Amino acid sequence: MKRLLACTSFLAVALTACQPANSDVIKIGFIGPLTGDAAAYGVDTLNGVQLKVEEINASGGIDGKKIQLVPEDSKCNGSDAATATQKLTGVDHVVAIVGGSCSSETLAAAPIVEATKTPLMSPLSSSPDLTEAGEYVFRDYPSDALKTKAMAAYFKAEGFTNVAVITENTDFAQGFRQSLAKDFGTFVFDEVVEPGTKDFRSLVTRLKSAEFDVFVANGQSPATISAMVVQLREQGLTQLAITHDAGQAEETITIGGDGVENLQAINVPSLGEETAFGKNLVEKHGKPRGAIAFAGHAYDAVGVLAQAIDEVGTDGAAIQKYLNDLTSYKGVVGDFSFDDNGDVVGINYKLIEVQDGKWVELRDAPVQ
Amino acid sequence: MQLLVNALIAGSLAALIAGGLAVVYGVLGVFNLALGQLALIGGYTTWWLYQVLHLPLGLSIILGLACGALVTWVTFEIAVRPFFKHHRFLPLVTTIAWSMILDGLILLVFEERPRSILPGLKHIYEFSGIRISLEQGLLILATLVILLSFAYVFHRTSLGRRIRAVVQHEHAALSLGVPAGLLHGFLFVLSGVFAAAGGIFIGIDQSLTPTLAFPLTIKAYAAIIAGGKGNLWGAILFAYVIALLEQLLVGVHWFGAFYVPAGYQQTVALLFIIVILLIKPAGFFGNSSRTA
Repeated sequence: MKRLLACTSFLAVALTACQPANSDVIKIGFIGPLTGDAAAYGVDTLNGVQLKVEEINASGGIDGKKIQLVPEDSKCNGSDAATATQKLTGVDHVVAIVGGSCSSETLAAAPIVEATKTPLMSPLSSSPDLTEAGEYVFRDYPSDALKTKAMAAYFKAEGFTNVAVITENTDFAQGFRQSLAKDFGTFVFDEVVEPGTKDFRSLVTRLKSAEFDVFVANGQSPATISAMVVQLREQGLTQLAITHDAGQAEETITIGGDGVENLQAINVPSLGEETAFGKNLVEKHGKPRGAIAFAGHAYDAVGVLAQAIDEVGTDGAAIQKYLNDLTSYKGVVGDFSFDDNGDVVGINYKLIEVQDGKWVELRDAPVQ
Repeated sequence: MQLLVNALIAGSLAALIAGGLAVVYGVLGVFNLALGQLALIGGYTTWWLYQVLHLPLGLSIILGLACGALVTWVTFEIAVRPFFKHHRFLPLVTTIAWSMILDGLILLVFEERPRSILPGLKHIYEFSGIRISLEQGLLILATLVILLSFAYVFHRTSLGRRIRAVVQHEHAALSLGVPAGLLHGFLFVLSGVFAAAGGIFIGIDQSLTPTLAFPLTIKAYAAIIAGGKGNLWGAILFAYVIALLEQLLVGVHWFGAFYVPAGYQQTVALLFIIVILLIKPAGFFGNSSRTA
């Protein structure tokens, strides 16, 4: 055993020594779901990341060094995200990581980036559990703890007392469900289904005999959320249906068609195609799969990391301290900073609705 | 009653795939683990022809089935025929490998986003409180017609007699001039067409995603194992039984006291299969010799 240990440690030293001391590029890793039901998030965030990286490199890089992007597919699940993060930190030795999109990914990556002191900036994960995930875990996307407060406040303002929820059993959707229960109170109908379920007919049949004012489609991806809402409508239930950022995507409308008309969502402000960033993104990468805002948060994630590297260099601990001390970063999604837990401060919520096959912003959705 | 209709919808889909699987197991004695992918190829091709090329829906479905048949034939030639005579477990490995290749191809050709052949609301009809869409009704009917016409061919025609002869004793059938090799290929392709029909079914009723393939295959296997391996009618019956169980389980207010949480829907259905196998290890309609 001792010999084996000696051998492997020798091997480890030899391998580390073999790492080319390539100091003329700055490697930034990316993790996100590039395949599967949730691919819309991964593809859009990667496009946002690429856009910013190209811009920085075109203007000379950081201190004359070009950024090299290392993207990995983490498929919206923890195990693939852990493998990808191990590879990025252990093999590629990236300076920082942008990702993941699904909260399961970011939660799985967290212990690895903590151990290797690699700052991670999630552009899309919103699970409240991430607040406590570690010192090196940041996000420029607000926690669901705030989003559920906004939703609960909306329900109270509208006088909704009976809330029905169907939840997909993923870290993100479960986090949202528990957080909403804490802010709103008990639900009259509260069911959790396996990830990827598309047949909600038996549950909807039960909903027909339940009394509820509003239905919360708490899925993980546009595919499941549109399936819930369409099957609800097919059974003739006309109550208001509402979802969150996972559902507020173009794909929800392409799959759900007229079945998702008047579906509402509480989400961060969407960046329209008419904004300068939206125009630029569509020109370079085509229409977004999900939403321009996904790419916007990813774009800013690279931006704020690049600014940190520019100021303090590539040391993980120094970048972490810089981000915590940052007073305000001027991004395309707004001016933001980070609190002590690495959660973003300064991004507000909107109430959004599908009207004539398009997502339309109705008004602000205040947290209080 | 609505639950019964829901079960018919989900069961028809599972029955198509399980039926094809059972025929192949009954005749060739091999498990085809790429069946879920073949279903997706049928569905995706139909989606592409209808939504991208704007061909008429009927033609798209026929071409989708044809494409499913073509890919199934390639599957047979590459992953099954060279191997199944050596050992009947070899295709288990080769079809898994092939399924991964197909997974990659589906991603490459149709991209990873979810697709729906008929997006949006369907034409809903209501009969005494039961709501069903026109499309779902047609799909249930189509499944019944497909399965019944297969039953007719199988039990009432000379082609069916030849198939049954190959099942009973391949060499004896060969010596009587029954082209066993040809029939093997034919049945395998037929199972792929059934699967492709199932894929089109999903694409019309819900939406297709590339990750759907494996769960589809597993459901179909559950049905054929519970029904008695290789017993076609057992497999089809149990596809419906499992679907009904899943619906009843979460849809019924048990003993007027509680609902089973929806997360246990699949678990309990599979538990039911374990119980059946404990009581009848060869499956519910199974016997020691293979039949189709």
